[in-house]
Amino acid sequence: MAGIVKQDLIDFENEIAELFRAGKIRAPVHLRSGCEEQLIDIFKDIQAEDWVYGYWAMHIHCLLKGVPREQLKQAILEGHSISLCFPEQRIYCSGIVGSLAGVAMGTAWGLKRQKKSGNVYLFTGDMGAECGVFHEAVKYAHNFDLPIKFIVEDNGVSVMTDTRKTWGSDKPWFKDTVYEKNILYYKYQNSWPHSGLGQRIAF
Amino acid sequence: MKYFDELKRTMEWAAKKPEVVFMGQAVGVPGTFMFNTLKEVSENQRVELPVSESFQMQMTVGAAFSGYTPISIFPRLNFLMLAMGDLCNIVDKLPDIYGAKPPKMIIRSAVGPDAPVHPGHQHIGDFTDAYRKIFNNIEVVRLDEPKDIFPAYEEALSPDNQKSYLMIEVGNYYGSK
Repeated sequence: MAGIVKQDLIDFENEIAELFRAGKIRAPVHLRSGCEEQLIDIFKDIQAEDWVYGYWAMHIHCLLKGVPREQLKQAILEGHSISLCFPEQRIYCSGIVGSLAGVAMGTAWGLKRQKKSGNVYLFTGDMGAECGVFHEAVKYAHNFDLPIKFIVEDNGVSVMTDTRKTWGSDKPWFKDTVYEKNILYYKYQNSWPHSGLGQRIAF
Repeated sequence: MKYFDELKRTMEWAAKKPEVVFMGQAVGVPGTFMFNTLKEVSENQRVELPVSESFQMQMTVGAAFSGYTPISIFPRLNFLMLAMGDLCNIVDKLPDIYGAKPPKMIIRSAVGPDAPVHPGHQHIGDFTDAYRKIFNNIEVVRLDEPKDIFPAYEEALSPDNQKSYLMIEVGNYYGSK
């Protein structure tokens, strides 16, 4: 989205944090930081006609896909942060890990088969990228050369569970495989807790 | 018409709609009792998929988003259970979490036949009532009689209808009704 800079994204998350702290949002919010520059760079390639799928921490992605700031804020105030959806901007999210990998791949399959324009982008965390259905979606997309890019945003943990430690591996499964070219991978350090602000909120 | 003939006629009628695509295992090649209902459908509309029920269910939703009306085939309700998370948490919840209409898609499944050969207890489950209790938005349609089949698909595929359906056949009826 042209015109959005790193500070805009930081300011938005800070504003949502204050609304949450004030008890104005009666639903989970998953704030993110430390990934602004990477996402600004990634979204330079994502066009209005493209489809974006992701999970529960997608405020920044929505802004960069072109969702108007106030519209996004209103959706969060109404309790939709965990599964934001803006069909006009072609962005769909889910609060269930792994649940959209095949959906995104299926969209790409349908676009290619019908000779429709547009690309698909699936954003997932490091734990989601280890799920079986993610592996299957990447494999199918790779083998059938589908118009989809998988973006793995690695902050090292799933909630507070260490992804690498629990899988017993020091690197993602796709590293040094033929599937790596289908995946855009970056690491970041999130300064927010997984969910909320890490403190009790009085409603 | 008999049960099998009605199913076959209905699939061939549905296949005349260019947006309809049939997806699943034993859709493009023989392998299950359902295949013969599709054998006259053009190969281009039959997409043989690898066996992974969750993957197939998610792919079906994505295909619907892209503009297709998928008829996604899970030959036995026992197999469909492996896609239950996606069916319950994505397909059924889309209208609730997104405030949008459900994806236009049909899941075609069956109570597996137990005659003339009993395939074992992992292949003959009938979970129709359970599905009806679990779903809020998916229309569960039990196809008990030959006369039920065509009208159910006709309604599901009508242009002004935007719903997700689970159509449940009964395998034993293929040779008995």
